[in-house]
Amino acid sequence: MSMEKLKPWFPWITLAVLVLLVGAVNPAFFKLSGMVALVADIVPLFIMALGMTFAIYIGGIDLSMQQVANLVTVVATVYLAQFGPFVALLCVAAGFAIGAVSGWITTRQFVPSFVATLAMGFIALSGARFLSGERALSMNAEARDASFGWMFGNTAGVPHELIIAGVLLAFAWFLQTRTTFGRALKAVGAGELAAVASGLKVDRIKILAFALSGSFAAIAGLMFSVKLSGGDANLANGFLILAIVAVLVGGTPLTGGVGGVINTLVGTLIVVVIRTAMVYLEVDATMQQMIFGIILIVAIAMTIDRSKMRIVK
Amino acid sequence: MYQLNKVDKKFPGVHALKSVDFTIGRGEIVGLVGENGAGKSTLMKVIYGAYQPDGGTITIGGKTVRFQNPRQAMDHGIGMVFQEQSLITNLTVAENIFLGFEQQFVRWGVIDWKAMNAAARRQLAKVRLDIDPATVTSKLSFAQRQLVELAKVLTLEERIDGDLVILLDEPTSVLAREEVELLFRLVRELTSRASFIFVSHRMDEVLELSDRIYVMKDGAVVDVVAQDAAEVEAIQRKMVGRDIDKEYYREQKQKPYDPSKVLLSFDRVSLEGRYEDISFDLHAGEVLCLVGTEGAGREAILRTVFGLERPTSGRVSVKGAPYARTNAQEAVARGVGYVPRERKVEGIVNGMTVYENMTLSQMKKYSSGGILRIAEERALAEEWIRRLSIKTPDVHKDCGGLSGGNQQKVVLAKWRSGGSDIILLDHPTRGLDIGAKEDVYDMIREMSDAGAGIVLVADTLEEAIGLSHTILVLRDGVARKRFDMAPGDKPSLYDLVHHMI
Repeated sequence: MSMEKLKPWFPWITLAVLVLLVGAVNPAFFKLSGMVALVADIVPLFIMALGMTFAIYIGGIDLSMQQVANLVTVVATVYLAQFGPFVALLCVAAGFAIGAVSGWITTRQFVPSFVATLAMGFIALSGARFLSGERALSMNAEARDASFGWMFGNTAGVPHELIIAGVLLAFAWFLQTRTTFGRALKAVGAGELAAVASGLKVDRIKILAFALSGSFAAIAGLMFSVKLSGGDANLANGFLILAIVAVLVGGTPLTGGVGGVINTLVGTLIVVVIRTAMVYLEVDATMQQMIFGIILIVAIAMTIDRSKMRIVK
Repeated sequence: MYQLNKVDKKFPGVHALKSVDFTIGRGEIVGLVGENGAGKSTLMKVIYGAYQPDGGTITIGGKTVRFQNPRQAMDHGIGMVFQEQSLITNLTVAENIFLGFEQQFVRWGVIDWKAMNAAARRQLAKVRLDIDPATVTSKLSFAQRQLVELAKVLTLEERIDGDLVILLDEPTSVLAREEVELLFRLVRELTSRASFIFVSHRMDEVLELSDRIYVMKDGAVVDVVAQDAAEVEAIQRKMVGRDIDKEYYREQKQKPYDPSKVLLSFDRVSLEGRYEDISFDLHAGEVLCLVGTEGAGREAILRTVFGLERPTSGRVSVKGAPYARTNAQEAVARGVGYVPRERKVEGIVNGMTVYENMTLSQMKKYSSGGILRIAEERALAEEWIRRLSIKTPDVHKDCGGLSGGNQQKVVLAKWRSGGSDIILLDHPTRGLDIGAKEDVYDMIREMSDAGAGIVLVADTLEEAIGLSHTILVLRDGVARKRFDMAPGDKPSLYDLVHHMI
C-alpha cells in the first residue's frame, strides 16, 4: 500500500496507537465506565470542533468560536429566567448571526477569514463582558434543571451528553455527505474556481459555512453554561486551540476539501487521549497548552496540501 | 558566439522542442516568430536558464555551458526582459535595478543609497531615460518601466566579462507606435553592447528590427531568413503551413446551422479595455470561432457570455433576453455551459469523484429539498461514461486522477447532461494527445447536430478553420473580419493570419 493510499487512515492509526500506549502506561484507562466518563466530558469541545470542521473544510478558519461560546454562556445565564428552554434558540441564533457576519466580511469585503473571525471574536467577547458586567454569573438552579436538566442525565448507562453529540454528528454528517449544501462545501474547499465556473453560489455557501460554525459554537457554549450552571466571559477559554487541533489531527487540512466531520470525531478522541496521557504522566497544566501548540504545528505541516498554496504569508 | 545545438525538450505528452539549432552573433538582433504553442517560450526559457534541455548542448564562445537557473544564465551574460513586467512596483527604480545585487553598495552593513542611485543613473543613461532613480516604480509609464527593465538587464555589462545576450519578450505589446520606434532605435544603438533576441507577435516589427528571423512551428525551427530576404507572407505561410486534413477535423460532418434560431446575440457590446463594439449572432447548430492572438479579446467575450464580466455598453441577449443579473448562476440557468482553458483548476474539481463533478452544475435536478439523490447521480454518470467512452474504473474515481482527455469529457458531460445548449469552449484541446483531440472534435460535431450553439476559442488556427461554421477575427479587441466557413470552401490559414497580425 502506498503512502498516498495510507494517508486517509493516519488519524485512525494514530488514535489506535495512542490508546494502546496510554493503556500500557495505565491499564485503568481501559475501564469502560472511565472511558465513557472521559468522552462525555469533552462533548462541548467535540461540538465546537464539529463547527470548526465546516469553516476549515471550505479552506477558511473560524477563530471566533471560543468567544462566541463565551458570549453564549452569558446570554444563556442572563435570559434563562425569562425564556426558559427557548433561550437555546436565542443562543443558536446569536451564534448563527455572528458566523454569518464573519462570512459576509470574508466573502464580500475580501477580508481573510482568520482576521474576520478574530475580529468578530473580540466583538463577541466585548459583548459578553458588557452583558455580564464582568462578573461570573450563576444560573438559577431550579430554572436550569427544569429547562436543561435532561442534558446531563443517563439512559441505560449512556450519558445524555453522548447522545446529543451523536445526534449532532449524525446531523453534520448528513449535511456533509447527503445534501447539495455539503456537496457545494466540498467543491468550494477542493476547487473554488471550478465551483464558480459551474455556476454555484459560492459566496452564499461560504457565508452559510461560517454561520454553521457559529451555531455549533453557540451549542457548545450553551452546554458549558448548563454544565457549570453559570456564565462568564472567560468560561470557554482554552477550547479554541483544542478544537483546531482536533479538526487538523483528524485529517481535515487547513487547505480544505478533504476530511470532514467523521475525521473530526477521530481528531477529538485523539485530543482526549493525549490530554489523559498528560494527566497520567503528570504533565504540568501550564505545559499542556504548549504541547497542543506543538501538536497543532505538526498537524498543519503534515496535512496541508502544498500544491494549493502558492504564497504563504 | 551564443549557440544552441540540437536542443531537445520534452514535457509529459508534448515534445516542446525538437532538435533546435540556434545561433546569435555579437551585436546581432535575431527575431523569433511562431504561432502560440510553436515552442517560442520554451526556447526562451531554455536560453535564459529557466528550463534545462533534455538533449543537445548550449555553447557560449565555443564553451559548453549548462544553467541550473536564470541566475546562472545571468552570470554568463544572458538577460531577460519580461513581457509581464518583472519590476516590483512599490520599490524605487534604483532598488529594482539592483534587486538581489545590493551587496556592492553596502557600507557598514547598510545600503549607501547615494551610491546606488548614482549607479542607477548611469544605467538609466544607457537607455536614455532621464528620471530620478529614487522614483517609486509605480509612478512610471509602461514605456518607462520597459526601459527600466532593459537598464536592469544591462547591469550585467559591468558584472560579467564577455558578451551579453538580451531576450526581449513581446516588448512592444504595451507600447504606443512612437514609443516602439524609440525602443527600436535604442536597441539598435545598444547592439554595440549586447546581442538581442526579439520575440513578437507583430510580424512587421520583427521584420523591421531583426537581422535574421527564426521561424518556429510545432517545436522545430522551420526556417531562418535574413532580413533582406524576408517577406511577411512567406514567413506567415511557414509559421502555419501544414495541409489541413479534412477528415481530422470532421469537416465532412459539418452540417449547416439553423439560421432562424438565434441562441445568443451580441449587439455592439464593449468591455472597457478588453474589446469593443462586438456584434454577432450564434445560431442553433453553429460553431462560431473567435480567432485572434493572446489578449485580442477572445477570453473576455467568453467570460461575458458566462456572466463573469459585465459589459460596459451594448446588449447581450441570451435566448432573446438579456441577463437580469450578471453572474454565472444566471448563465447556467439559461443553458450556458463553460469549458474553461484551465481544465484542472476551473474545469473539474480535483478531489471530487466523476459523478460529483458531472452534477456539480445541476445539483437541483438530482436532489429533493436539498437532499441529493445519489443513486440517480451515479446512473447519470454511468450513462455519460458510456456515451462519451470516458476511461475511468468507476463513477467513484477522483476526477483529478483521470487523463486530460477524460477530464475534458467529464466537463463536457457535465454541461451536456444538464441540457446546456450554448457551450463555450476555451482551448478545449489544449494539452490533449491526438486521440483525445479527435474525441473532442467528434463531440463538438455531435453537440451542433443536437442543436447546440458553440462559441469556440481554438488551440490552433487549423482547428478553428476545420471546426467552425463562422469565424470572427479579432485584433486588439476589435472585430476585423467575419468569415463564413462552408465545408470544402474554407479560407486558408493565411487569409486569417493576415487579419490577426
